[in-house]
Amino acid sequence: MLEINNYKSDILNNITFQLNDNDNLIILGENGAGKSTLAKVLSNLIENQDVKLFGEKLDSIVDNKRASLINYIPPKLEIFDEYLTLREFMELASITSVDNDKITKLIKLLKLKKLENRYCKAFSSGEKQLLLLASSIMHDAKITIFDELTANLDISRLKEVYDILQSPMLQQKIVITHNLDLAYALKYKVLYLKDGEIEFYGEHDEFFSNENLKRFYNNTISKIDEHLVVNL
Amino acid sequence: MKKALFIVSIFILLIAPFLGEIALNLNEIFDSSSITYKVFWDLRISRVLLAFFVGGILALSGLIFQIIFKNALITPYTLGIASGTTMFTAISIVFFPTMLLSFSSALGSLFTITILYFISRRINKDSIAVSTNSILLIGIALSYFYSSVLLLVFYMSNLEQNYSIVRFTLGSLDTVGFTSSITVFVTAMIMYFTIYKNRAKIKLLLISNDTAFLKGLNVHKLNLLLLVVISLVVGISISFVGPIGFVGLVVPHIIKLIYKQSADKLIFPVFFYGGIFLVVSDLIARNLNTASSIPIGVVTAFIGAPFFVYLLIKRNKRA
Repeated sequence: MLEINNYKSDILNNITFQLNDNDNLIILGENGAGKSTLAKVLSNLIENQDVKLFGEKLDSIVDNKRASLINYIPPKLEIFDEYLTLREFMELASITSVDNDKITKLIKLLKLKKLENRYCKAFSSGEKQLLLLASSIMHDAKITIFDELTANLDISRLKEVYDILQSPMLQQKIVITHNLDLAYALKYKVLYLKDGEIEFYGEHDEFFSNENLKRFYNNTISKIDEHLVVNL
Repeated sequence: MKKALFIVSIFILLIAPFLGEIALNLNEIFDSSSITYKVFWDLRISRVLLAFFVGGILALSGLIFQIIFKNALITPYTLGIASGTTMFTAISIVFFPTMLLSFSSALGSLFTITILYFISRRINKDSIAVSTNSILLIGIALSYFYSSVLLLVFYMSNLEQNYSIVRFTLGSLDTVGFTSSITVFVTAMIMYFTIYKNRAKIKLLLISNDTAFLKGLNVHKLNLLLLVVISLVVGISISFVGPIGFVGLVVPHIIKLIYKQSADKLIFPVFFYGGIFLVVSDLIARNLNTASSIPIGVVTAFIGAPFFVYLLIKRNKRA
């Protein structure tokens, strides 16, 4: 279980919610609402005293154990060394002993074979995001937070990512996205942030009711025949 | 390419002690009563060894500092550690003449890295990542501060002290006997094996500090360990040879271009070719002008400063 109690900072205000073991979560909100900041707080990249993971204070969990509980996948792959290859990156992604078969399988699954021995730093943004997804499966934390994982992906790749998110390859997932179609299709619980505060936290069906869509997206989006439609 | 380079380097190492102002009479090398014997063993061999290990230390320290601060322009030299060491040494030459120079140098180095570390922690208050450009600017600010203190000390010193300070800042590999080369060798090994032992952790830092943290690494602890060990070792080696710039900048960069491998696999090549780089620079310094040798710091700066500008241009092109 993930809990956060009354977290406050310059960006976020009065953040309190609980996510049960087996519940996945979508975090939505406008640009600058504080979604990424919240994700960093939940993973202790921004140090804090207000998050509890499975009953223990995040701040006091030892580093190795924390790594096995929570992982954060940033929107962009940041990588300092110019000569790290994809294969090496995947080896580094694993927090226990390296399982080479698993790496090979994942590379095949995500159709990254031709990049296997190339340098990650030179990848396109889409390739980098697939690599990040693959690395999150390697890491296999209890909770994985994806920050804008699908921003640079082709539609066909988006479907692959969706299938992986729906598969049992990953444990509990928290997905931050601007892609409402993806959010709608995933059927996770929804948390909506506005100006650093939680405006909505609840079940998928409730959020995607026409009434709430009108409230959060000012008539720009509505639901017709169980599909979201943008009114431009 | 790699093999040829290695063979040439070994060859240079072997012939380096035979080259210099005084021509050696090869028959007398093992005749302990001859002048050649004294020049060859006590001056030349010890000098080549000193140059090799100092070069290795400086190059490897550059590589690791660049990984810690995520910036290819950072070395102990550009961060102001060399000028901090120089200032402390000058102070001890003038005000505490009985103090061991290695001690004051190590103190200066450690003092500087402590300031840098705490300022950088403060800038990145609640984050694991580092803001690399601000750390470089702080290094420059520190260097300015140290230079002005150095000038003040200079102003307050007498002629003899004046001369010692100038000689020290110019950098020199002049050495008699093996005391300095053995000391530097021991510190080099301590640094090398500290880095080598932690290479798996350092490899995580090659991605980003955030990623390393998420994989369960105590990033601050590792960084602190590496910074303290490297600063001490660099400080001690500077006390023997003076501040020699740009080795840590030029060598890691060229080795990366040649090897095209991630930095965790370059610990040995960077150390080795750093040593070769300084041995060659010293050969140039000793043999260009027959009247007396040029200060080694001048030679490395002549090679390194244009290289620094080249790196800056290349970096901006990419961004």
